[in-house]
Amino acid sequence: MGFLAAGLGAGIIALGAGIGIGMIGKSATESIARQPEAAGDIRGAMLLTAVFIEGVALIGAIVCILLALGIGQ
Amino acid sequence: MGRIDISRFLRLASIAALILFISNPPLFAAENSDEGSGSSIDVMGKVADHDYFDTAFGKIYLPRILLVDGELYFYSSTKKALESGEFTQTETGLIRADGAPVSLDMSITSHLLYVWFGLILTFIITFWAGRKYKSGVGRKTEPKGVLLNIFEVVFVFVRDDIAKEFIPADKYKKFVPYLFTIFMAIAFMNLFGLLPWAAAATADLTVTATLAAITFFITQFNGTKDHWQHVFVFPGVPAWSRFILTPVEVLGLFTKPFALAIRLFANMLSGKIMIVSILGLIFIFTDMFGSVIGASSGVFWVILTAGLYFLKALVALIQAYVFTLLSAVFIGMAAEEHHHEHDESSVAHAQDVQT
Repeated sequence: MGFLAAGLGAGIIALGAGIGIGMIGKSATESIARQPEAAGDIRGAMLLTAVFIEGVALIGAIVCILLALGIGQ
Repeated sequence: MGRIDISRFLRLASIAALILFISNPPLFAAENSDEGSGSSIDVMGKVADHDYFDTAFGKIYLPRILLVDGELYFYSSTKKALESGEFTQTETGLIRADGAPVSLDMSITSHLLYVWFGLILTFIITFWAGRKYKSGVGRKTEPKGVLLNIFEVVFVFVRDDIAKEFIPADKYKKFVPYLFTIFMAIAFMNLFGLLPWAAAATADLTVTATLAAITFFITQFNGTKDHWQHVFVFPGVPAWSRFILTPVEVLGLFTKPFALAIRLFANMLSGKIMIVSILGLIFIFTDMFGSVIGASSGVFWVILTAGLYFLKALVALIQAYVFTLLSAVFIGMAAEEHHHEHDESSVAHAQDVQT
């Protein structure tokens, strides 16, 4: 049961983080195309936002690892 | 003609060495494991903290320093501690023979050693470069040599793109040494994880939590009046909503370093687990389909692992950058002073994003 939960959880995390970071990438490339001179600022803002999504996703990943290893049972 | 041959030979040799090195750890794991099937791989053992220091020529056991009930015990290794009869082994660790648990374990572990290596390397390189700059190289002339050039690029990057951008202009100079130190130390610690027998110290939650705690304290000690006002008495909102806002803001103080620690830890841990698991597929395939298919599929897994290694090297540097960047963002947010009413809303928005 723990393995099932961990596997499903990891998949859902990848889905959510993928959608989130994909949307950041999309709007960042769009805005760089619109305003190439602001590319540096946009890149910084993009990284910062992506990092926050990554943080949440990794907390989920840690929960999945703990589930799969059966720690805390 | 001869030069091309030599460079090609060197390239082949280095690729062969790389493949040899990265395929070694799971072999070791398989040798060491005493399970019956002979192919069990201890994935967590590769990332956990140990009481020995793994080298190519065997294990070096590290000293144990244990504090039990105010008495200090010192042994040169875990084995010595057991032989002396004062301590017995349980599944959670060592306890004293009379049943008293260890109150403070100050043993030197492999991860601690790698933290020291990272810090010592940072120390040596920074002092070496500092002495060079003091003598005039780089200030009056151009920086000489590869190392000094790389040092200058990294330092200017941390100062201009991280510190200057996120910390108010009149204060950023004070934080550049800290940010640069933490960048270098984390980058070295992460890159140690790429060496075949070594481990990334940052794949240990205690190490990253310590680093995040340092950032947390620096942030709070440099908080301005505005910072604390934003935490406890948020300006410009109805009085009743402060019952919700204040606990959320106080919680937000602690979630920031928590997320900082978890992010670095999880990134480094997942890289290591991924590599050990993918190489472990060789042994799983051998178990399932026989040794011929298992061994020949190894070619594929080793190439995949080599690719992952480059990704890991990239992630090591990116995570050092991200940790430094977020430290700068948090310090900058706390050190900022607001003079105008109208930028209140933008600050509130920024803090929502952070938490």
